[in-house]
Amino acid sequence: MKKTDQKNATLELSRRRFIQASGALGVAAATGGMSQVVFADGKKILKVRAYGDLRSLDPAFSQGVIDEEIQSSIYSKLIQYKPGREWGYQLDAAESIEQATPTTIKFKLKEGIMFTGGHGEMTAEDVKYSFERIIAEATESTNKPDWGTLKEVTVDSKYEGTIVFDEAYPPAWNIALPYIVGNIVSKSAWEKAGGKVDTTTPSVSGPYMHKAWEPKQRTVLARNPDWHGGSAEFDEIHILPIDDESTAQIAFEAGDLDYTRVPLGSVSNLKASPPENSTLEEYPSLFYVWVGMNVENEQLSNENLRKAIQHAIDVPSIMQASYFGAAQPSTGIIAPGLVGHREKSLVAPEMNIAKAKEYLAAAGMEGGVTVTLDVLNKAANVTTAQVIQATCAQVGINVEVNLHESGAFWSLGDSSAGERYKDIQLILNRFSMAPDPSYATAWFVTEQKGIWNWERYSDAEFDKLEAAAKAESDNTKRAAMYEKMQDLMEESGAYRFITHEATPVIYNNGVKPAFRPDGLPLFRYFASA
Amino acid sequence: MLQAIKRICGDPLGLVGLFLVALMVLSAVLASVIAPYDPIALNIIDRLQGPSFKHLLGTDQLGRDLFSRVLFGGQVALKIALISISIALCIGVVLGMIAGFGPRWLDNIIMLLFDTIRSFPTVMFALATVALVGPSLSTVVVIIVITSIPTYGRVVRTQTLSIKSNEYIQAELAMGASTFRILSMHLLPNVVGPLFILASMDIPTVIALEAGLSFLGMGVKPPTPSWGSILNDGYNLIRNTPWPIIAGSIPLVLVTLGFTFLGESLRDLIDPKLRKSL
Amino acid sequence: MLIYCIKRIGLGILIVMLAVTLLFFMIHLVPGDPARILLGPRATPELIASMSQQLGLDKPLPIQILMFFANLFRGDMGMDVITNRPVADIVFGQLPYTLSLILTAIIGAALIGIPLGCYSAINRNSLADRVTGILSVACITAPAFVVALYSLLIFAVYLKWFPAVGAGEKGDFGDQVAHLVLPAFAIGLSWVGYLSRLVRASMLEVMGENHIRTARAYGLPERLVVFRYALKLAVLPTVTVIGVGMGFLLSAAVFTEIVFARPGLGKLIFDSISTRNYPVVMGSVLVSTILFVISTTISDLINAWLDPRIRASL
Repeated sequence: MKKTDQKNATLELSRRRFIQASGALGVAAATGGMSQVVFADGKKILKVRAYGDLRSLDPAFSQGVIDEEIQSSIYSKLIQYKPGREWGYQLDAAESIEQATPTTIKFKLKEGIMFTGGHGEMTAEDVKYSFERIIAEATESTNKPDWGTLKEVTVDSKYEGTIVFDEAYPPAWNIALPYIVGNIVSKSAWEKAGGKVDTTTPSVSGPYMHKAWEPKQRTVLARNPDWHGGSAEFDEIHILPIDDESTAQIAFEAGDLDYTRVPLGSVSNLKASPPENSTLEEYPSLFYVWVGMNVENEQLSNENLRKAIQHAIDVPSIMQASYFGAAQPSTGIIAPGLVGHREKSLVAPEMNIAKAKEYLAAAGMEGGVTVTLDVLNKAANVTTAQVIQATCAQVGINVEVNLHESGAFWSLGDSSAGERYKDIQLILNRFSMAPDPSYATAWFVTEQKGIWNWERYSDAEFDKLEAAAKAESDNTKRAAMYEKMQDLMEESGAYRFITHEATPVIYNNGVKPAFRPDGLPLFRYFASA
Repeated sequence: MLQAIKRICGDPLGLVGLFLVALMVLSAVLASVIAPYDPIALNIIDRLQGPSFKHLLGTDQLGRDLFSRVLFGGQVALKIALISISIALCIGVVLGMIAGFGPRWLDNIIMLLFDTIRSFPTVMFALATVALVGPSLSTVVVIIVITSIPTYGRVVRTQTLSIKSNEYIQAELAMGASTFRILSMHLLPNVVGPLFILASMDIPTVIALEAGLSFLGMGVKPPTPSWGSILNDGYNLIRNTPWPIIAGSIPLVLVTLGFTFLGESLRDLIDPKLRKSL
Repeated sequence: MLIYCIKRIGLGILIVMLAVTLLFFMIHLVPGDPARILLGPRATPELIASMSQQLGLDKPLPIQILMFFANLFRGDMGMDVITNRPVADIVFGQLPYTLSLILTAIIGAALIGIPLGCYSAINRNSLADRVTGILSVACITAPAFVVALYSLLIFAVYLKWFPAVGAGEKGDFGDQVAHLVLPAFAIGLSWVGYLSRLVRASMLEVMGENHIRTARAYGLPERLVVFRYALKLAVLPTVTVIGVGMGFLLSAAVFTEIVFARPGLGKLIFDSISTRNYPVVMGSVLVSTILFVISTTISDLINAWLDPRIRASL
C-alpha cells in the first residue's frame, strides 16, 4: 500500500515537473486562475484556509489548532515542529536545548531575537514569564494541562534558563515546547497590556506580524522586518476561515486559495484528474473516532452485549462508505507514528457475525435488542451511524440513531448538566489529538467520568498506567504501557475503534508548503516554489 | 366537485398540476409496491453508481437505490406536509376567528403573537427547537406548524372581520344568533376555499423547508429516506457524483409545479371575481 | 396617518422585546453549557464556574433578561467573552454583509420578477406565459444551498466569471460587488419565481376590477392601462411580501453564508447558537428582529399610504 503511494507520488511529481516546464515554455496566461504565482498589487501573498476563525492571539487562551496556526507564525518558540513525514523538532529561539536531568530541561537562547513594538531583545526572563503565566492559577489558562508537571523556569543568565518539573514530563518535548504553550511572548509587552491579550497582540518575534483581523472573513499576517531568522517568504499571508470543506475545495479550484485541506470524498477524483498546476498529498491524521458504550447504563452494563456490538460493527464498510476508502481502520486511540501505537487491535476490524451472535446469546438477548446511538450531525458521522445500524441489524441488534447539533452533542455525557448522561448507550465520538500518547489516554481515566469519559469506564489498572506512562522517559517502556492501556479499553467491551481519518491536502504548485506529519500546515515554513 | 375537475381539465396548466399531484400521491402511497429495492438496504459494493437499468437514478454513498429512496421520500414529504399543514390550519382557523370575532384586546394579543413568531428568522427558531428536543420528523412538524400558523390565522381574521361587518350578520346577531352559528354557517364556508388554496401552495414550501433543515443536519432521523436528506447527501457527494442531488431535486421541482399550478387553477375557479372577468 | 405611524412603531418595539424574551428563554432551556463549550475540553470545573459568573449565568433567568434590557437601554449590548469585544461591534461588523446580500437579492429579484409577471399577465395563457410560469414555479423551491453549490461550480470553478468565497477586499467596491453576485443569485432565484407569480396573479385580479375595465372602455391605450393603473395596484401585495420576505431571506442567508464562506449575520447567529455564545446570540437576534420589524413596518406604512382603508384597521 505504502509502496504504491510512493510510486504515485513520484509519477505525479514528474508529471508536475513536465507541466511546469511546458508552462514555462508557453505564455503565463495559459495557466488560468490556478497557478498565478501569488502576486497581487506587486505583493507576494499566500492565501490559505483555516477551518475556523481566530479566537485569541494569547497562547494562554489559544483554543487549539486554529489559533495555533496563526500564533506559531508570529511568535517564536524554543523549538518548532520539523516539517516532514516523521515527528521531530528543530531549534527556533533556542541556540541549544537538552534534557539535563529527568526533571529539568536546560536551554540557551539565540542572541539578538527582537520583539516588535520596541519591547527589546528576548531574554530567559521572557521565557520564564511566558511559561509560568500559563500554569499560574490567576491566569485561568485553559491550556495549563499541556504543561503537565511544570514547576518553574529558573533564569541562569541573560540567555540561559532551566525548565524545572516536579516529576519527569517527557510529553513536554511533543506537546508543550513546540506547541501552543511553547510560544514565547514579551514580558514587558504583556505586563503593559495587563497580563492578557485578546485578538490583537502588542508584540511578536516570529517571521510574520499580525496585521488585521476581519471577523469571519480573514486574518492577515504581514512580514516582520525585524525577524531574527532573516526575511520571511511572503509579504502577507491571508488566512481565510472556511468551515465547509467542499467550499474550501471549490475556493481552491476557483483560484481563491493556494492551499487547503480537501474532503476525503474528493481524493480519488482529484487523483484521477488533478486541477491544473496543483499537487495533492495525503497525510495520516491523529484524530481518533470510536464507538463508545456507557458501561453504567442498565442495558449496556452487560459486558456480553458490549462485546456483541464490538463484533457487529464492520469497520471496513465504514471506511468505504463514510471515508471513501481514503482512511484506514484504527487499532486504538493512538495513531501510527506515535509512541504506543498498536500494530493490531484485539477485535479485528471486520465484523464477525458468528461471534457477535455468540456474545448476544451469552448476554441472554438472542431474541434481539434495541440500543440507541448518539451522533453529531456531520455527514461522515451520519453515514457511519447508518452503516453501524445496518450491520448490527444483521445480528439482531436494532440501533436507533439520535442526531444532535454540536452544542447539544458535546454536553451529552456531562454529568453536571442534568441527567442526560445516564441515558447514553452508544456514542459515535471523535476527538482531536496532539502528538503525544498521553493526550489521547487522559480522557478515559476514572477522574474524567462525567466530564469527557462518557463511557463511564473505570479501571484501576488503566488509571495507574496512565499516571505512570506520562512520567516514563524510556520510549520502549512507555510504548508498552500505552499499548496495554488500549488493550484494557478494548477488553472492557466499551470501545470499538473506528479510524484516525486522514488529511488530504492540495496546494498550488507556486507554493512550497510545509506540513507536520499529520498534515497540519506550518505556515511559517511555507515558501514559494 | 365533478364540475370543478372538469374546469381544471379545461386549463392546461391546471391539468398538468393535477396530474403531477396525483402522480406524487400515487407513487408515495404505492411506494412499497413500485420501489424496486428496500430504501434503507445497504449495498456498499454498488455505492455511488450512475443511473442504469438496475438503478434508475443511481445509488448513494451507502449503495442504496436512489429511485426507491425518492419514492419512499415522497411518503415522508407527504406525511410532513399533510400533518403539519392540517394542524397549523386548525389552530390558525381557531385563533383567527377568535381574533376577528372576539374582543379587541384579545385580537391585539393574538396579532402581537403572530407578528412575534413571524419576526424570528425560521432557521434561528428551528435551530433553537432542534437543540432543545433533537432532530426528528416530529420536530420538523412542530417547527412548520408554529411558523405557519400566523399565515393562516391572518387570512381567517381578515375574512372574519369583513363578514362580521356585513349587514346581514349584524342583523342575525341582533336577532340573537349564537357566535358559533355565525362562525360555522357563514364564516367557515367562506374561508375554506382560500385556505385550501393557500395550503396547497404551501406544501412545496414545507417540503423545501424540510430539505433545508436536513442540510443543516436538523431534519429527519437516518435512515429515513427524505428528499431533504437525499439532497444533503448529494451536497456532500457533489465532487463524486451529481446524481443524488439530481435525484433529490427532481421530485421537489415536480411537486412544486404540481401543487402550485393546481392551487392557482383552483383559485381561478373559486375566486368568483376573477372568473367573472375573464 | 401620523397616529397610525406612531402606533405601528410602538407595536414594532413591543414585538422586538417579546421575540427577544421568548428566544432568550428558549435557548436557556436548550442543553449545552456555554461556559464549557467556550472554554474547550481542557477547562477545569473552577474555570467553568468562573466563566459562568462572567457570563452572568449564575443568576436566575428573569434577572438575566431584565439585566439584558437594562444594559440595552444604556446602549450596551454586552461583551463577547471569547474575543473580549463588545457584542455591538461584532454584530454591526457583520450586518452590512448580510444587508447588502439581502438587498441585492431582493432588488435583483424584483427587477426580473415583476416585469416577468406583468408580461405573463398581459399575455395570459400564451406559450410564453406557460413557459415563464413553469420556469418561475420551478425556481420557487430550489433550495438555496443547491443553487449556491451549482452556481459556485459553474460560475466560479468552470467559467471563472466570479470569485468563489468571502466578501471581497475592504475598500474595493468592484471586488465586493463581484463577491456579491453569486450569493445574491442563490437566495434571489426563488424570489424571482415567487414575485413573478405574485405579480401575475394580482395583475389579473386588478385588471378584472371595475375601474380598469372602465378605463379600457374609455378607449385608453392598453399600455397606459397596464402600466399606469393596473401595475400600481398590483404592486401592493408585492410590497407586503417583500417586507415579510426579509425574514425568509435572513434564513436563506444562513445557507449561502455557509456555502460561500461569507461573513454575515445569518452565519453569526448559526455559529453563536451552536456554540451557545449567549451574549452574541442575544445581540444578533435583537438586530435581526429589529431588521425584520423595520422592514414589515415600512411595507405596512407604504401600504397604508397607498390604500387608506388599511389605516383604519389598526
